[in-house]
Amino acid sequence: MTRVLVPLAILEGESVSAGLTTLLAPLDVTVLGYHVLPEQTPPDQARLQYEERATDALVDLTAEFEAAGGRADHRLVFTHDREQTIDRVAAETGADAYAITGVTGPIDRLLVSLTGDVAVDRLCSFAAELVGDREIGVTLFLATDDESGGRESLEAAARSLSERGIDVETELAGDQPALEALVEAAIGHDAIVMGERAPSLRSLVFGEEAEQVAAESVGPVLVVRRVEERDDTVERRD
Amino acid sequence: MDSGPSSVGGTNIEGESPQVEPTVETDDATITDDAELERTLGLTGGLAIGIGTMIGAGIFVFPGLAAGRAGPAAAASFGIGAVVALLVALPTAELATAMPKSGGGYYFISRGLGALAGAVVGLSLWFGLVFATAFYLVGFGYYAVDTLAEVGIAVGDGLVIPLALLFGAGFTVLNVTGTENAAKLQNGIVVLLLSILVFFLGYGGLDAVGLIGDSAAPERFAPFGTMPVLTTAALVFTSYLGFAQIATVAGEMKDPGRNLPLSIVGSVLVVGLLYVVTIFVATSAFGADQLSEFGETAMVDVGRHYLGPIGAFAIVFGGLLATMSSANASVLSTSRAIYAVSRDALLPRRASRINLRYGTPHVALGLAGGPILVLVATGRVELLAEVASFLHLIMYGLICVALLALRRDEPAWYDPDFRVPGYPAVPAIGAVASFALIGFMQPVSQLTGIAIMVAAAGWYAYYARDVTLKGAL
Repeated sequence: MTRVLVPLAILEGESVSAGLTTLLAPLDVTVLGYHVLPEQTPPDQARLQYEERATDALVDLTAEFEAAGGRADHRLVFTHDREQTIDRVAAETGADAYAITGVTGPIDRLLVSLTGDVAVDRLCSFAAELVGDREIGVTLFLATDDESGGRESLEAAARSLSERGIDVETELAGDQPALEALVEAAIGHDAIVMGERAPSLRSLVFGEEAEQVAAESVGPVLVVRRVEERDDTVERRD
Repeated sequence: MDSGPSSVGGTNIEGESPQVEPTVETDDATITDDAELERTLGLTGGLAIGIGTMIGAGIFVFPGLAAGRAGPAAAASFGIGAVVALLVALPTAELATAMPKSGGGYYFISRGLGALAGAVVGLSLWFGLVFATAFYLVGFGYYAVDTLAEVGIAVGDGLVIPLALLFGAGFTVLNVTGTENAAKLQNGIVVLLLSILVFFLGYGGLDAVGLIGDSAAPERFAPFGTMPVLTTAALVFTSYLGFAQIATVAGEMKDPGRNLPLSIVGSVLVVGLLYVVTIFVATSAFGADQLSEFGETAMVDVGRHYLGPIGAFAIVFGGLLATMSSANASVLSTSRAIYAVSRDALLPRRASRINLRYGTPHVALGLAGGPILVLVATGRVELLAEVASFLHLIMYGLICVALLALRRDEPAWYDPDFRVPGYPAVPAIGAVASFALIGFMQPVSQLTGIAIMVAAAGWYAYYARDVTLKGAL
């Protein structure tokens, strides 16, 4: 079963918009409530003070996902390092993707970006499972310099999705920086599905690409995790 | 897994009881019933806390004072300190891997020997760290004045204490309001310091043994006999007070079974070696008498002797960084020590409240910063250092005793990843050596230390005598 991790800075009032709750209904959801502490504060000290409040909020959020027809559980983590916590919990729960929540109403159309390090197959099957038999359209997006090759892989991906009865469009971007093209293409879509990028100098300097896209596009972004070489075989079996 | 039989319980006079919950420890997190606590410190982080806390005093404050007391044999005093520290570091490492929790030495002793010993050590550790921090800050004041002198602003030693007070207050405020991650900065400072020192000591060492430069006139190794070597060892032991601070963040250390022993024992070995070489180089550059006249910042003149103005500047700069990093690391340990005691209801729960705006433990930081400033104002370097050592040595001795007590009748929950080599000799000698070193201190330091311990015991009897902690994980 496909699982999505929804990390939230739970004590800072971060929440999930109704549109995202509904969108994730067909999948398993783990709500990860985290609280980042400065190094002066031992995590255990914060737990004593905030655990009850945070757990109450998480129980309510989990109930919202269940009310929308999904299956959800929750974890609560006190940490000094947000990225480390998200990576660890994602690995432990075997999550296929994590969500950057954003703000959205009902979702009619998804933008699925095939650009990047995650295999096109994996992105497409995630999108297909997410849409299920609902009336949600999908736009496949790819930014590449190789126009004919790009066109071909977009067509192939579109075919596999329309075979499952999904309304698919494609969009190819060439001469523009990939990130800007993606943000531009996101106009008219309610949420974005994209692949996680391998850490690079660029991501060290400017932050993760998905975070930038989320900041620019306002709506939710679902980031499909990279799978390590070793796990690849396991991934394909199911 | 860690929920063996325990006798935790009781309440203090405000009706608060110890907050103890069963937990599961993994390499990446501590898992409680409803929440997880991420472990985020790696081996470098642990080493940076240990080395960063220790290195300020031994290299940048003590050489002049120690050489004045013991002559070139001050190197032996530092060596004795290193051996005692190592004998305690090994048991500390074992206990830390068995109980990777916030609180360090206090935690081991309260669980191994019970609430009275725990309360005395926990509260003394608070004051021990306060004395140590005040000592580092006074050292910082001397370096700040010397830095001003190096850039041509001569202000005289009268400004040492005001500058130390200013920075002490500044650190406390920064720790309450600052939420930027200073850990990376601390790591960088330690790396920079080690580079300066290794270069300087390498050059000075070659010179001192006569391979380069002029050979210096030989001097008698221990001109004042053996006794001053031992009393100096007791004084300079303050330079080894950082390794147990690593145990105060044991709850936040990744892969604790590996990283705790490596960082605790490793940091003692690194600084011990550096100290001995430093004293050797310093006493080779100048006679012990002359070194003593230079006082707290004698190393600046040693730097000038070997490398000219650049050497002097490098040492002044290093001294500023080192005393600053020692003071900062100790303030953080103090607030963790206070938290550990207050969680166990030995201090009011209010003491571990977290500030809503900054997410920092402002009450505990204030309880650290306030007394520190009072002590800095006294400006008595040697007394501050010795009382800090006294209170820590009591804890170190009791850590060894706690290890012996736990090992003699191992409870079900006791499952350390690292076991002391040479048991029971190492912890037994460690305990004896820790207590023996106290005997070589000045009477006024001993009396101050004893008064603090008696006050701590009195507080326990008044405030929390119904609280029991033995064996409660």
